[in-house]
Amino acid sequence: MTDVTQIIQNRLAVAKRASNPQAMLDLIPYSAFIGAQAKIEDDEVLYWLERRPSNIGNPSLPAIHGGVIGGFLELSASIEILYELDVSLIPKVVDFSLDYLRPGRYKTIYANCTVLRQGSKLVNVTATAWQDDVGRPIATARCHFLLA
Amino acid sequence: MNLRRAIFKPMLKLAMERTGHGAALGFEVTKVRRGEVEMTFPYKPEVVGNPITGVIHGGVIVSLLDTCCGTAAMTMLDRPAVTPTMDLRLDYMHPAQPYEPVYVSAKVYRDTSNVLFCRGSAWQGDPDNSIAHCVATFMKVDSPDISIASALRRRLRRLVRGAGTKSDEASR
Repeated sequence: MTDVTQIIQNRLAVAKRASNPQAMLDLIPYSAFIGAQAKIEDDEVLYWLERRPSNIGNPSLPAIHGGVIGGFLELSASIEILYELDVSLIPKVVDFSLDYLRPGRYKTIYANCTVLRQGSKLVNVTATAWQDDVGRPIATARCHFLLA
Repeated sequence: MNLRRAIFKPMLKLAMERTGHGAALGFEVTKVRRGEVEMTFPYKPEVVGNPITGVIHGGVIVSLLDTCCGTAAMTMLDRPAVTPTMDLRLDYMHPAQPYEPVYVSAKVYRDTSNVLFCRGSAWQGDPDNSIAHCVATFMKVDSPDISIASALRRRLRRLVRGAGTKSDEASR
C-alpha cells in the first residue's frame, strides 16, 4: 500500500468516526472544483452548492450547467454511501440516470440522498436537488455504485 | 449561405468553450456538424474524483456528455429555440485512465417535432472501448429572443454600455 493510499484511507476513517461529511468531500478534488459542501441537519446529510460563475451553463438566463447538477448529485450520492455504510473505499459509479425537472436558477442548490438498497457489492442511491422549496425539486437522480 | 448559418457553428463552439462551466473545464470542441459534435478534454488534477488513483470524477463525464449531446441537439434547430435536457442516462463501462485526455462524441439519432433523441460516447485510446455511453433527450422550446441577431444586438449594447462605464471611471 502506497503512502497516498494510506493517508487517504486514514483521513476517510477519521471523517467516518467523526460523522463529518464535509471532511469526506474534502478528500475529493472535484468537490472543490464545483464547490460542493455538506453538513448534518436533522440526522441527515444536507448537500449544497453555492452559486459561482464557473458553474453557469447558459449565461443569458443565467442557469446552472446541467452537467454540474448531475456531477453534484453523483458526488453527493457517493458521499452518502461513505457516510451511511461501512465501507473504506470510494465507491465506483456504474450507472447514473438524471431527470431534469426545472431549470437550475443561478442560486444555491440543495440535495439529499437515500440509499435504497445495499447488497454485498452493489448499492442503489437516489438523489434529489432543489432550490427554494424541497417540494419543488429541480432534478432527481438514481445511481448504482460498486463497492468492490 | 445566409449570415445565421455561416456564424452559427463558430458561435456555438465559442459559447461552449468560453463561458461558464465549459470554460472552467477547459475542453475543446473539435467538430460541429448538423446533429454531430465532438470534443476533447485534457486531463486536469482539479477534477479528480479518486485521490488514490488520480482518476477524474464521473461528474466530469456527465458534464462533457451533457454539453456534447446538448450542442448536437442545438445544431438541429431550424428556428430560434432552446433545447433544455429532459433526461440523461449514463453507463460507466470502466474508469478513465488518469493523466490521459478524454474524447467525447454525440449524435442526434432521431429528430421529432418536440423532442430530440441523442446518443453519446466517451473514450480514451480506442473509440470501441468506451469509458461511458449515454442517451439523452432534449425538448425543443421556441424562444424568439435567442436568435443570433438579437443575441448580437444584446452583446453590442452591453459592449457600448461597458465602454461607457470604463471611460467614466477613467475620467474620474
